[in-house]
Amino acid sequence: MPKMRWMLSCLLGTLLVGCSEPPEVERSGEWTSANQLVWTPEIASARRALLEPYPALGLSALPAGLVWETHPGTPFLGSAEARPGGTFYDHASVYPLTLRTVGPDSNNSFRGYLLANQWSLTTLHPDTETPIPELALEWAVSADQTTLFFRLDPAVRWSDGVPVTADDYLYTLEFMRSEAIVAPWYNNYFTEQILSVEKYDDYTIAVRGAVPKPAVDLHTSLSISPKPRHFHVLDSGWVQNTNWAIEPNTGPYQIDRRSLVDGKGKYLVFQKKEDWWGRHRPQYQGRFNVDRVRIKIIRDPNTAFQSFNKGDLDSFALVLPEFWHEKAKGPAYDRGYLEKLWVYNDAPRPSTGVWMNQAHPLLAERSIRLGLQHSLNFEKMLRTVLRNDYVRLSQHYTGYGSYTNPAVVPRAFDLAAAEGYFTDAGFAQRGPDGIRVRDGVRLSFTMTYSQAVHTPRLVVLQDEAKKAGLEIKLQLLDGQNAFRNIMEKQHELAWMGWSTGFRPAYWEHYHSANAGKPQTNNITNTAIPALDTLIEGYRSATDASTRIALSHQIQARLDAEAMFAPGYMVPYSRGAHWRWIRFPSAAGTRDGGGLYDPFSSASGGLFWIDSEIRDETRAAQREGRGFAPVLRIDERFKP
Amino acid sequence: MMRLDPITRTKLARFRSIGRGYWSALILAALMGLSLCAELLVNSRALLVFYQGSLYFPTYGAVMPGTVFGEDYAYETDYRALKQRFSEAGQGDWVVMPLIPYNPLEINAYEGEFAPHPPNAAREHYLGTDIAGRDVAARLVYGFRIAIWFSVALLLSTYVIGIALGCWMGYRGGWIDLGVQRLIEIWSNVPFLYVIMIVASIVTPGFGLLVSLMVLFGWMGMTWYMRTATYKEAARDYVLAARALGAGPWRIIGRHILPNTMSIIVTFIPFSIAGGITALTALDYLGFGLPPPTPSWGELLKQGTDRLDAPWIVSSVVAGLIAILVMVTFVGEAIREAFDPRRQVRYA
Repeated sequence: MPKMRWMLSCLLGTLLVGCSEPPEVERSGEWTSANQLVWTPEIASARRALLEPYPALGLSALPAGLVWETHPGTPFLGSAEARPGGTFYDHASVYPLTLRTVGPDSNNSFRGYLLANQWSLTTLHPDTETPIPELALEWAVSADQTTLFFRLDPAVRWSDGVPVTADDYLYTLEFMRSEAIVAPWYNNYFTEQILSVEKYDDYTIAVRGAVPKPAVDLHTSLSISPKPRHFHVLDSGWVQNTNWAIEPNTGPYQIDRRSLVDGKGKYLVFQKKEDWWGRHRPQYQGRFNVDRVRIKIIRDPNTAFQSFNKGDLDSFALVLPEFWHEKAKGPAYDRGYLEKLWVYNDAPRPSTGVWMNQAHPLLAERSIRLGLQHSLNFEKMLRTVLRNDYVRLSQHYTGYGSYTNPAVVPRAFDLAAAEGYFTDAGFAQRGPDGIRVRDGVRLSFTMTYSQAVHTPRLVVLQDEAKKAGLEIKLQLLDGQNAFRNIMEKQHELAWMGWSTGFRPAYWEHYHSANAGKPQTNNITNTAIPALDTLIEGYRSATDASTRIALSHQIQARLDAEAMFAPGYMVPYSRGAHWRWIRFPSAAGTRDGGGLYDPFSSASGGLFWIDSEIRDETRAAQREGRGFAPVLRIDERFKP
Repeated sequence: MMRLDPITRTKLARFRSIGRGYWSALILAALMGLSLCAELLVNSRALLVFYQGSLYFPTYGAVMPGTVFGEDYAYETDYRALKQRFSEAGQGDWVVMPLIPYNPLEINAYEGEFAPHPPNAAREHYLGTDIAGRDVAARLVYGFRIAIWFSVALLLSTYVIGIALGCWMGYRGGWIDLGVQRLIEIWSNVPFLYVIMIVASIVTPGFGLLVSLMVLFGWMGMTWYMRTATYKEAARDYVLAARALGAGPWRIIGRHILPNTMSIIVTFIPFSIAGGITALTALDYLGFGLPPPTPSWGELLKQGTDRLDAPWIVSSVVAGLIAILVMVTFVGEAIREAFDPRRQVRYA
């Protein structure tokens, strides 16, 4: 019986492998979506030849007086000492549900790896925030500040060898607007925010935006990433057919097809392109050095950390204090086999803290909100649980450079001030349990949060708030339910953080148009007419200095209203790596990039693998020899 | 004075003669009893304060703000600091603190050190602190109280339902028995853990809700045993005699059948208690149990396994779990031995 079962499972195994093996190519010239699974340069160029080019306006149609700009001369990030070659062993916590980057299930954590190899027209220099070339070599801004003109680099090729031309950018708009991709957000963005893409010749295009903006902001919203026109078939089967299709891309690496079959569910390999177009650009010298990046799927961070310590992974991010201080120590660190790296950055900060729902009758009172702010002992939380590695956040919009109002500072834990505000609100008396009461109503709020690892942090707030006569009940819900609860404005206090944008976004969070209705980001239910006026002014201003001035005013007003108690921020990236992973003198960038990121065009692929050092380290491990321990702290961008 | 029949007395005597079971039962009963007054043993509130000629008993009752004892704050008095101040001032005031002067929720921070703090007798953290700086011993004690009484509540509710339904099925037999059996089979196939996970992700389960949920999916086990036992007993002559005298079904079940199936019930009790404790611990470990900051063994176990570099957390809770479960098992073994029907009844 066991033997039979074994045979059965073997049979099943072969069947499964057989199924995931790509079907034989039909080279008849009949193109179906299913054939995209097998994609060779021959098929690609044959298919490309069948496409009708989009009509061009001609270079004479370009507006007069355009000022073409190019690389501003900011220093390149790559190191001259970098050596090519080797495999970088990385890990991720989940295997992707699809390899698509748009459409259902595509918004997973793995998408970052894929998007990092789908490059755009231009990018911003990670240290200086000035535009630098990527797929386009030059650009110009229209007189009305709504449109960017680009001159494309003719050397750019898709991973299948087909040149990237203006047609691919025009097609991008068609693609992103198509209902076949089942991505309403993209459908909307490429309709409302990007009005059109125009072709002047094969290597000159214009991207027209909906609203005038300062030049740098135009780059962040209009510098689109092309889609391979010869690859996609936008029919009703697109979502299904492209689930596991390897889309041609423009970045330095592409998914290795074999790893998709052999390692399904377990690992994925990105292989460096043999003749990548960017190899000869000075900008990318000393970048993207490793030949292969193997991403192993390890669900549990503790297990992943053990793999790293064993040498199965090359690097490990150690942002959490207990990992950095307690777990990442021992002989392998003392002997210098494993090196630690801590790089401060200066970027927009996620706004982690306590969000008060002003639809709650008590939280609608400003003095209660102020009292609550002074009852939250973030200082103790940072000191005891987070070892002062994390830093107090000053407001919702911290780290936005000149757009951040430096005069806004967080409120300290201050029992006297809390007492004063709560007394003003009529909560002078304390009940038998030490919690304040007013006409039989206790000063008690439920705080909704979604991550169990935050519990030790929040119990500090809970315990200390009791001193102020405030009760905080903690409600841990799983991520989806917590988010739904908050988006439906069912919460009283929410512990969460918004991710960041390039510029502060006020309308979605604080405009009255979004208050009092579900599924908007105004989770504090803020509706203040004077604030609305400021926000509208900020949205319509095209001139940077006006926007900055309005931004400061809005932040001052938000601070005065006190509906958000700023928590903490993590102003650094840090981790540990085996000593054969080498870095340039600047291992990270101002925007938090660099370190162990293998791909991103702006700041990825800075490190390299030194095989001699690896052999030396392995020999030393065998012989029990050690090296000097290494801890590198880069404080160039310390706030 | 309750009169015990001779058979029960022999059973009890035999139970007493099995040393480890008997002593385990005594210790467990003592622990359960003591856990009810845990506030007197493990607490940040003082047992007794003598201040300016009057005595205070802060343990139970309303919060006493610091101002009562001449401190300058309006929140609850820090009695450990007060004790220190009184002994330094030497004005005849004094404070008596409990054995472990911490409550399970308070966070203790020490300058220049980070939680978890290792065991330290001078600070009276006999088992150290957890990752938030809360005293492990205090959390163990209060966690035990919750786990054991959770278990008892669970046991009582499941047994009431299980025994009543099982007896009824066994006594009536026929279609009722068949029908309820099928219903139970269907109900048993509802994946209990999923239900708990779904419920816990939507609402934060409290003590009552968690007990009710576990009862809802846990009463079935007992019905099978009681049904079989009742079937067997119902066919005996004394039941027929009772019926002939005109006794109703519930009187027969309650007065005649139930006492004769008592040995089955009693034998199962310790194992159900152990099951209840492990179930709550497992749920807390997975994060679907009682909401934070409720002291719980499962949560301590989770912390401990995440932080093996702080071995005092995991070793305390594992030692506690092993001790309790081993004792419960000893009791169970002894009861099974003592109530074994083959020792009293001889079948032809």
